[in-house]
Amino acid sequence: MERLIVSPSPHLHTKTSTKSLMRDVVIALLPAVVVSVLFYGWSELLVLGTSVASCVLLEYLITKYLLKKACTVGDWSAVVTGVLLALNLPSTTPWWVVFIGAVVAIGVAKMTFGGLGQNLFNPAIAGRVFLLISFPTYMTDWTRPQGFIGGGLDTITGATPLGAYAEGGVSAISEISSLDLLFYNIGGSAGELSAIALIIGFVYLLARKVIRPYITLSILVSVAAFSGIFWAINPEVYTGPGFNLLTGGLLLGSIFMATDYVTSPMSNLGGVIYGFGIGVITMLIRYFGAYPEGVSFAILIMNSVVPLINKWCHAKKYGRA
Amino acid sequence: MLKTFSIGGIHPSDSKISKDCKIEVLPLPSKVYISVAQHLGAPATPIVKPGDAVKVGQVIAEPAGFISAYVHSSVSGTVKSVGPRKDLAGNNMTHIEIDVEGDEWAEGIDLSDTLVTAIPEDNKAILEKIKLNGVVGLGGATFPAHVKLCPPPGKKADCLILNGAECEPYLTSDNRIMIERSKEIVVGAAIMKQVLGGCPAVIGIEENKPEAIAAMTAAVAELQKTAKGYDGISVMTLKKKYPQGGEKQLIDAVMGRQVKSMGLPIDVGAVVQNVATSLAVYEAVQKNMPLITNVLTVTGDCVPMEKQHNYKFRIGMPLSYIAEYAGGIPEQAVKIVSGGPMMGKAIANLDATTVKGSSSLLYLTAEQTVRKAESACIRCGKCAEACPMGLEPFLLQKYARHNMTDELEENAVQDCIECGCCLYSCPANIPLLDIIRIAKGDVIKIIRGRAAKK
Repeated sequence: MERLIVSPSPHLHTKTSTKSLMRDVVIALLPAVVVSVLFYGWSELLVLGTSVASCVLLEYLITKYLLKKACTVGDWSAVVTGVLLALNLPSTTPWWVVFIGAVVAIGVAKMTFGGLGQNLFNPAIAGRVFLLISFPTYMTDWTRPQGFIGGGLDTITGATPLGAYAEGGVSAISEISSLDLLFYNIGGSAGELSAIALIIGFVYLLARKVIRPYITLSILVSVAAFSGIFWAINPEVYTGPGFNLLTGGLLLGSIFMATDYVTSPMSNLGGVIYGFGIGVITMLIRYFGAYPEGVSFAILIMNSVVPLINKWCHAKKYGRA
Repeated sequence: MLKTFSIGGIHPSDSKISKDCKIEVLPLPSKVYISVAQHLGAPATPIVKPGDAVKVGQVIAEPAGFISAYVHSSVSGTVKSVGPRKDLAGNNMTHIEIDVEGDEWAEGIDLSDTLVTAIPEDNKAILEKIKLNGVVGLGGATFPAHVKLCPPPGKKADCLILNGAECEPYLTSDNRIMIERSKEIVVGAAIMKQVLGGCPAVIGIEENKPEAIAAMTAAVAELQKTAKGYDGISVMTLKKKYPQGGEKQLIDAVMGRQVKSMGLPIDVGAVVQNVATSLAVYEAVQKNMPLITNVLTVTGDCVPMEKQHNYKFRIGMPLSYIAEYAGGIPEQAVKIVSGGPMMGKAIANLDATTVKGSSSLLYLTAEQTVRKAESACIRCGKCAEACPMGLEPFLLQKYARHNMTDELEENAVQDCIECGCCLYSCPANIPLLDIIRIAKGDVIKIIRGRAAKK
């Protein structure tokens, strides 16, 4: 001890880092990953592997050779994007389509804006929406592949519950029980499979103080309220709150995508407004839009409003009430 | 439900390792160097010259303005020199160097242990004693105590808050005095409360100090039973949250009131004094003892249990002398902090001497204190969540980096209390407070300049 460090206060620092936060998100996604691999088997593993590997590799190559700056893959954010993108795709998606999704997510939506912290749109959702518009056949092929467990042996092309509703109305979904939806879905993206697995992840994120609950709850409450009102008016035409909360990417989107730090508002009030917007837009698309599912579009639209929300909503200051 | 402040705050590990170490009296060194700037405001003017013989408790420097304070000799002996010497930040300041000879005290100082519970009736005389004995706030800012106890005309104190929160991790000196000198602190509170016109007094202590809470509660109960003038004093247990001991936060926690921006506590009827200040007031008024001693914690994760101490020191002792006496500097220490780890100052010069407000020698290891490389802001909002003033540090640092003073003022950078919660919480290691602190200084200069022009 010859020389003393002299620096301004504070002299201590939290152990939480960008890396630990991102790693926590990956851990929170594990239950959903495990369930989807168990039920969708090798093809889901291929999608997951391709997605994560492409996202990490692309970020590495872009930072190193295009931007020529310090490599940022060590912060785990590319892994988060990779897992989320995979969970947003059907397990039958060909690997090269997954790769294109990763190029859009990392290359266009994230690194073009300056990398982590600078992007306006959630990278995984941008990738997913690009694929949905560009490759609609692959993106709506809900064939159930052979899983490691579960009875889904039939390889008939099925529809998601929301897809069935968009085509055939309420009568087309009358046989689906909410218990099915809660534990494992009858068809859909990997991440839509099990509500319970996603909710476990949500509880973990809250317990580790990675996210605050306002955005997620605001989305869920507004979806429930919106669909509740329409369902009460005419249950013959409109699906009810339970069905809407548990189907599609609503839980995956509201827990893991809408709460993305970078693309969501900073303040709690801002989060509530943002969540309300996502909920309402989702339901408008589901009831009246051409697509059966609207969470991705809703999040992207609200992403673009975040700078305005941040300008309007500020934290309550001490002594300035 | 325990009370606490309503906005922000963080929960670092409290690390009160030395909380059970009884206060020990440090032996006298052969020399002391007494600084004339041990308080907020103008440095005092020395009134002794080399060769003068001084006694313990004798005035050696006089206040040089309204906000200034008397400084007394902490030892008896001969003045060797009066001149510049480096303080703990390495800046030159006038110090009075005294060769220690014996331990002879000035007249009129009561050195006995007897507790004096009868409070003098004359408030003017009390205030004069507090001023003459050089009492300053010992919670960190060292603001002259008598000034705070004289509310400006038209303002009335509704509550005297005694700050026993000691919310900074590691520090345990307030905890020890609340356990070992509880009655004296309560007498001090009763004196200040009387001076302020008889408002209630609340002693706020965080829940992690159960022994101090018990001792203070017992002291209040006993004095209320046996002496006059102790009604309206109570102990309030507070939830553990940093920065509870911040003046504005404590007022919010105890009274549920918030001081306006750029305002003073008295504007909302509050006067806050630290428990150590209360003890100093007791000694000044009841014992005619000037403020020449205080208690300092020697601690740190890298300090073995037997080398953890709470020392009663005299002002002017070199920090290196105390470090040596306590067993030397631990090998793993890379930074020594005077004060708490959140708001204390890193010591650049260990030959600097103790002042009235010295509270610790805190040894930190490289793993604890070396800052990690800054990475991109991920907009997690943890800094805003942590800020006890409700500010948005991520936004302020952005404006500050672009010198946008109008936006900084609009977003209340001047309200920053520099508690360090933002920098502590940032997962991207952005030096938020470093940047905001500089911007705050600039904006306050602009505000003052504008006020002066009017």
